[in-house]
Amino acid sequence: MENQSLRVSVGEFIALTNQTLEFAYPSIEIEGEVASFKVNQGKFVFFDLKDSEGSVGCFMMVFSLRIPIEDGMRVIVRANPKLTKWGKFSLTVQAIRPSGEGSLKKSFELLKAKLAAEGLFAPERKRLLPAMPKKIAVISSVQSAGYADFVKILGERWGAIDVDVATVQVQGEVAPDQMIRALNYFNEQEALAEVIVLIRGGGSADDLSAFNDELLVRAVASSRIPVITGIGHETDESLCDLAADVAAATPSNAAQLLVPDKADIAHRVRQSLRQIVHKTEGKVTTHQAESQRALLRALEKIEQRFEHQNSRYQQRVELLQAFDPRSVLERGYAMVRGDIARGGTIEIETRKQVIHAEVQDVRQK
Amino acid sequence: MSDKNNQTISEKIEQLNALVLWFEGEEFELEEALDKFEHADKLAKEIETDLDSFKAKLTVLKKDFSKE
Repeated sequence: MENQSLRVSVGEFIALTNQTLEFAYPSIEIEGEVASFKVNQGKFVFFDLKDSEGSVGCFMMVFSLRIPIEDGMRVIVRANPKLTKWGKFSLTVQAIRPSGEGSLKKSFELLKAKLAAEGLFAPERKRLLPAMPKKIAVISSVQSAGYADFVKILGERWGAIDVDVATVQVQGEVAPDQMIRALNYFNEQEALAEVIVLIRGGGSADDLSAFNDELLVRAVASSRIPVITGIGHETDESLCDLAADVAAATPSNAAQLLVPDKADIAHRVRQSLRQIVHKTEGKVTTHQAESQRALLRALEKIEQRFEHQNSRYQQRVELLQAFDPRSVLERGYAMVRGDIARGGTIEIETRKQVIHAEVQDVRQK
Repeated sequence: MSDKNNQTISEKIEQLNALVLWFEGEEFELEEALDKFEHADKLAKEIETDLDSFKAKLTVLKKDFSKE
């Protein structure tokens, strides 16, 4: 019987194998540990993905590498298996992400150190948010609880605001690119929003890892419009938080930091009026007190002057009284008037009597 | 958010704060106080009315960000 085996050229065999692989694995994710990681010519990334059972070579372009990778890290790659024209089997990696807490943390720390060294998180880069923004842009998933919390608090606190919402995925491999596109979209508008709000509710470290994507972090840092983040819970920290102008602890907290509380403003307005009334009353009281003090001072002056005049009058009265001849008579003396010469007639006046007498003799003392 | 004179709420709050400062400051004159107080009272009422009428306008964009 004739051999029915398919006979093909080497090139055809490689092409057929690749077609078979593509058919068998249209999309596959493989988890393993990175070994022999290297970047050639700044463009091509090579590493092995291994576990206790085996090892497979991986290749990817450097621009697809969105997180720092190093040997020993546990990762999940999305890849297409491929046979090269040199007969070497490898995985062409489309995307790679850390797997497990240790690797996530390691990748986070590596990228944090790299971007911090570039100054992306520097405090001097942070911009102030407007006190009462009129137009804001929100990047979030409208189905998420975090978004619902944000909108609720925003409406309760303020309300006088136009909000444009870009609906994006906030977790998973496609999330960073969607959020970058939304950031770019808002930054390219003719009428710019005053603030971009990037929000997502709580989740696992893996769920939140989209916010540690290098390109997304760079897009947040380079946004023309100030960015506030409200990602996860109080304890979560993402690199987007570090790159943002303001990092709120949660989506609700982002709304609190973004707009004033109208109840608080109404309270302060009423307080201002009370303050004005209080101040006016105070000033009136002060004026009254000043007037009373001035009046008292004037009265005191008048009294002093009166007393002074009175005292001078008394002195004069006393002086006049001292010169009054009657007071001398009171003391027992007598007044003599008339012809003081021998044989002359005189009148002697005492306190009680007037005596007429004749002068018998006049001698010089 | 703004009245017929197109004053925003923040402008009104600023004006009210300026009036409070006037009442606290050295320029205070009892003769002017009544007019100033009436102005402050009017501003306060307008601010509260503005606050009550606030309504957010929420627009969910139709643009699909999953595509380039």
